[in-house]
Amino acid sequence: MKEKLKVALAQFPCKIGNKQHNINKIVKHTKQAKKQKTDIIIFPEMSLTGYTLLDLTYELAEETPGPSTEKITKLAQKENIYIVFGMPERSEKGKAILYNTAVLTGPEGYIGKYRKMHLPTHSVFEEKRYFRLGYQTPIFETNLGKLGITICYDIFFPEITRTLRLQGAKFIICISASPAVRKQFFETLTAARAIENTCFLAYVNLVGIENGLQFWGGSRLIGPNGHIITQSKYDKEDLSFGNVDYDDLRPVEAFVPTLRDLRPELYISLKEFSEKL
Amino acid sequence: MKLTSKLLQIDPKPTQRKIISFIKDYVDKTKAKGIVLGVSGGVDSAATAALSTIALGRKKVLALYMPEKETYKKADHKIVKLLADQFRFNLKHVDLTNTLKTLYNTIPDYSPENKLSRGNLKARTRMLIWYYYANNQNLIVAGSSDKSETMIGYYTKWGDAAADIAPIMDLYKTQVRQLALHLNIPPTIVKKPSTPALWPNQTAEKEIGLKYEKLDLILYGLEHFMGTKEIAKQLNLTIKTVTTIKKRWLQTEHKRKMPLTTKLEYRTVNADFRFARTTEIEQE
Repeated sequence: MKEKLKVALAQFPCKIGNKQHNINKIVKHTKQAKKQKTDIIIFPEMSLTGYTLLDLTYELAEETPGPSTEKITKLAQKENIYIVFGMPERSEKGKAILYNTAVLTGPEGYIGKYRKMHLPTHSVFEEKRYFRLGYQTPIFETNLGKLGITICYDIFFPEITRTLRLQGAKFIICISASPAVRKQFFETLTAARAIENTCFLAYVNLVGIENGLQFWGGSRLIGPNGHIITQSKYDKEDLSFGNVDYDDLRPVEAFVPTLRDLRPELYISLKEFSEKL
Repeated sequence: MKLTSKLLQIDPKPTQRKIISFIKDYVDKTKAKGIVLGVSGGVDSAATAALSTIALGRKKVLALYMPEKETYKKADHKIVKLLADQFRFNLKHVDLTNTLKTLYNTIPDYSPENKLSRGNLKARTRMLIWYYYANNQNLIVAGSSDKSETMIGYYTKWGDAAADIAPIMDLYKTQVRQLALHLNIPPTIVKKPSTPALWPNQTAEKEIGLKYEKLDLILYGLEHFMGTKEIAKQLNLTIKTVTTIKKRWLQTEHKRKMPLTTKLEYRTVNADFRFARTTEIEQE
């Protein structure tokens, strides 16, 4: 397993509903990242199709793995790189059973997927209208270590990153489609999730304008002490690079030993009280 | 939440940047050649014209000044010319006096004493001309409605608010004024009393019965789910005043929506057909 990783954060404006255009963008950025000897490249939430699909979700969702995943897996194998991207997934069990999904694929082929657990259905968001909630928090054992993935609004719920970290993921990825007025929330919460779990966290956000929503980009790689390792441009297409060195975890874990100091009994009352909300 | 004017303060630089990106993105995605809009000499249309020009360049913005004899003011005409000189967008003067006369004479039951329906004809006639140019020159119609007037329905249905995009519709009037000053729009325009120009000497604040500084705070409170009693107490207004504004807001929802139909079939236009404005699906 590699102890030092080079990470690429790729944010680009999607064409709504135009998978081929968006895949071309994924190919372009991946090739560029590979020239920089990158180990893993991460794309935003729903980067295969664009975020604001509304009713197009039904026709654009695919099984995962499926045709688009296969295309991107071939790219990952050819370029010998890990790729994370977002897409609408259709369950093989039903035409209208859809998920907001992140896919991890790499040199060894298709690796796995994470289905978004918290679907925003408030303000301008309508995700529960189209998607089913995800129920699993898988971690993925790769040559880059154990990786955990979350999607956008999940970051507001510390349980997810905590669960992934407790399963051994030291590098957690959050792909996102966050419009402008929420920037402050995400910048605060992504740093908090990294600090409270003493882990590396890569946040990759969409850019561009979809249906009046302006996605702000600002993707970032954050160290376990909350330090911003790399920060992408706001509002513009960008490809930025940063390094993860797992050796850097040790001094932080000793300095703020949050995992050592966990109190499991609190989780029992947390469950009880949240059920009675 | 304490309702003070501080809540309505905007950071004009990022606001300008976002609106400009929005205009440019929409024109690009629709493959239009530019923007057409009406200019009256008021702050809303001045700001929309300025923002469109900054977004697209002066050659891609066509502003139509459309006076008519009854409400014509030389001062407005001067202001519009001043604005066009400053931002250097294309300006056309379309006098609607004769068109309106013809319309009045054409309608069998035309009643000149009904100020509102007569005034609304003017707003809708202006809209006809914008869309003529939009069709003829492949332009996008930019509306100049602000959030204050849109929320209380203070506009003519299918008239002055009829547009393809409304760049400043998420800004209250007092916020548009801040943005306008940042855009270097002359203070005389920014401070000028707003009017829909439907009849002589009509001013918005007189008709609404409140200064925009107060109206905007009422609307801000309603936007943030505050109760009418609390808003009235904080702003030192009667509950009746705030309730009247709330009613105007809720009762004019029909103006802000497509026509209502009754559901008869599987998927219904404007109910459960839901798509983004600019999808770019692949050709099959």
